[in-house]
Amino acid sequence: MSRRDEILLACEKVVAMPTCIRKAGALLDGPETDLVRLSRIIEHDPGLTANLLKVVNASDLASDRPVLTANEAMEVLESPEVLRFFISTGVAPYYVHVIAGYDQVPSQFLQHSTTVAIASRELASALGLDAPGHVFTAGLLSGIGKLLLGAYVQVDMRQILHMVFDEGLAFDRAEERMLGINHAELGGILLERWGLPDALTRVVCHHLRPDEYDGRDVVLDLVHVGNVLAKMIGVGLGADGLNYEVSPRVVERLGITSEVLDTVSAEVVVELQSLWDLFLECSDDFCSV
Amino acid sequence: MNNTHVVGISDMKLSTNPGDVIVTYSLGSCLGVTVYDPKERMGGMVHCLLPSAAAAKEKARANPFMFVNTGVAMTVRRLVDLGADKNRLIFKAAGGANMRQDRIFDTGVRNFDALMKLLERNHRQLTARDVGGTIPRTLFLYLDTGRVVVRSLGKESDL
Repeated sequence: MSRRDEILLACEKVVAMPTCIRKAGALLDGPETDLVRLSRIIEHDPGLTANLLKVVNASDLASDRPVLTANEAMEVLESPEVLRFFISTGVAPYYVHVIAGYDQVPSQFLQHSTTVAIASRELASALGLDAPGHVFTAGLLSGIGKLLLGAYVQVDMRQILHMVFDEGLAFDRAEERMLGINHAELGGILLERWGLPDALTRVVCHHLRPDEYDGRDVVLDLVHVGNVLAKMIGVGLGADGLNYEVSPRVVERLGITSEVLDTVSAEVVVELQSLWDLFLECSDDFCSV
Repeated sequence: MNNTHVVGISDMKLSTNPGDVIVTYSLGSCLGVTVYDPKERMGGMVHCLLPSAAAAKEKARANPFMFVNTGVAMTVRRLVDLGADKNRLIFKAAGGANMRQDRIFDTGVRNFDALMKLLERNHRQLTARDVGGTIPRTLFLYLDTGRVVVRSLGKESDL
């Protein structure tokens, strides 16, 4: 069996994305936890958002149309009691202490994912684009394959970094050479298996190399650049660093200049300051290496 | 009591306590700059997101540390206010990374250029640097000796 097949097989058994133990605890605290707080925690956490979209899209509650964002999912669930039922059964039952191999503790992964999401949305706004509402969710979920590889697969980061620095490969290409699959494709495949809508899974799958997507999707373009921006800003960077390629075609298509990028970067950093409490919740001794 | 001061993005910390350490994590394209007076054993560190306030003047007024040109100048001013001698200050820098093969945005390069222009204009020199490339960096300043350490991918080196 190839390494790729082994990884895909291991991920077939994954029934829910992990989150950090304190956050899972906060979600299951009981009736004193209000819905606004629950919503804020879920919509800024890639694992919890993926789990919620999975259970909601698989349920009868969302039969008329695919549910694309955590907010829509919570609207579909209607009441705090139903949301809590879903949380206790399928949204927050697992937690991790460290995303092994990628040199990221959960709080860093969370920070980085949230930064990608905000950057993608702010970029649309700065460019005056009327982008669909799931830009934020697609950005938030884009790196989820890393969570999978880190939590469920033994990844030898040294060998991947050796390929990056000694052979000059981009990080995702080195992953592919080493594992037979990169984290973007793996994330896309898993979310597709879970029944998440194609509008999200294709962005997750192609966000590192949008030119390989056979079609045109403004959300994909925005998340590609949002991911680049998040890496440049540096919040929650892992060992993969800035070792990814920027698509000149996407940059041209969106009409991005360094001035636009600077403006968006400044907006993102200001917005992140209102979210540090969420990141701190995930960075205590339980969650740190 | 000795403390570790953590510098966030678009943030600055300084200390006059020789037992303290100042650190900033996750430098991507941002530039971390340390400023140290070896006689007074006081220093500061600033973590700048962007080269200059030209694109966002309002934000520079609200937070000068977001930008290299205003952030480094403000750090020096604050240290001088605390008793540092401007002519003794030692400047070191780390960060300024760029995306792989990226010549489109070049934020890391622009950040470092902004620092060099600022220092040149003020007839100051950069004593040491670890900038560019594609790696994330963590930067430490030890106030007792002015030692500056860069940690990246699990390895530490003195600057």
